[in-house]
Amino acid sequence: MTERIKCVVWDIDNTLLTGVYLESGEHPPHPDPQLLGVLRELAGRGILNALASRNPPAAAEYVERVAGTDFAAIECGWGSKADAIGRIAADLSLAPDAIAFVDDDMLERAEVTAALPAVLVLTPEDAAEVPGWPQFSPPVITAEARRRGQMYAERRRRQAAAAAFGGSRDDFLRRAGTRITVAPAKMADLHRLHELSVRTHQLNSSGEPLGEDELARMLESPEYRVATVTLADDFGDDGLVGAAVMTGNGGSPAPVTPAGSPPFGPTGLAVTVPLVMMSCRALGRGALDALLAWLCRSAKASGAAELRVPCLVSDRNVPMRLALAAAGLRAEPDGVAADGRAIFARPLTGKLPGLADWVTVE
Amino acid sequence: MTGGQAAVVADELRTILVEVTGRDELRDIPVDTPLFGAGVGLDSLAGTLLLRQVKRRYGVDVAAEDLNLDALATLGTLADFLVARS
Repeated sequence: MTERIKCVVWDIDNTLLTGVYLESGEHPPHPDPQLLGVLRELAGRGILNALASRNPPAAAEYVERVAGTDFAAIECGWGSKADAIGRIAADLSLAPDAIAFVDDDMLERAEVTAALPAVLVLTPEDAAEVPGWPQFSPPVITAEARRRGQMYAERRRRQAAAAAFGGSRDDFLRRAGTRITVAPAKMADLHRLHELSVRTHQLNSSGEPLGEDELARMLESPEYRVATVTLADDFGDDGLVGAAVMTGNGGSPAPVTPAGSPPFGPTGLAVTVPLVMMSCRALGRGALDALLAWLCRSAKASGAAELRVPCLVSDRNVPMRLALAAAGLRAEPDGVAADGRAIFARPLTGKLPGLADWVTVE
Repeated sequence: MTGGQAAVVADELRTILVEVTGRDELRDIPVDTPLFGAGVGLDSLAGTLLLRQVKRRYGVDVAAEDLNLDALATLGTLADFLVARS
């Protein structure tokens, strides 16, 4: 299967620029109009752009200015392009197979291919055609997706502020004016919910994308309750970043009956959460902790004695398991089932995880 | 006895915690400090960075070996977990 490209890493000299930056004196080379068009087209589709160049940072600043779009990550320096791409991938929490690399230099392309075989390596001529390729054509483009590049630029500034701050995470979240809202999902959220279910991996409990029709059925069914999480702070507004699907006591006033046959219930005394998902943009910003704390509290308020989260156990979603552990959920003794999942559960007694004062529940 | 070894590992873990959280005050935390919640306040981001460094330094994939991540209860439990596998 062809992997969806989420980020294109561009070389500068003789690729985005029609010449060599350092050889052009006071008048830097013009950008390549065709590739600039591709860059903007991809940004409009929610695909990130990044720069990897052996030029000084001034070259990247020049490209950013003339391109008129945001770059999610910028790597300038004499190190290898493969290392630069590795840092960009780590920084943006992307797997190498979600990255394309464009460079006019055959040796650079060969080096990246050898070191990172999963990266899609392209010549500038290839790159001019990628808007027509399926792996560059996401099926759904939401407003959030179109703003993605700008959000990563905001994130660059937020991370610089956090690195200079030095206090605890919560102190920084407060200082940054963090605002997290948990609210019932609306039909208008459908595209974004679907997109999150396809795009999230590190912070996804089920590991299985949900189709729009399936999500729509859940939004309409009295047996499910879908909650969304929105996140903003003084650096920027990230919009809808996460959601959870609940069934059992949480989905209806009375215990669910077998006639409704929801896929993960009914248990009557427990609220089951078939899906928790959160954009990796929200990592480290308290949004998943808030959602899990809210799930515990809301399940308890509905009369349930236990919260149950079936979670795929893989090396990709370890961050999700960390959040479940931090919220006091533990795997059932039978461990990992044949489908690769374990049920993580916690009784809804004693001290439940707290909601920070920057969390609003609607 | 592995007590001495565990103390050395705990000290290395303090350094890693300072790195992944950017908080110097974690350099002196007692071994019974909880890593989640009120103690270190480890979240999924800092926890992932910690596990990555632990894997690099000790060759132990805690997430693969410990379904519930109980090893992350306190600084001391994580040090013991690593010593037991070294």
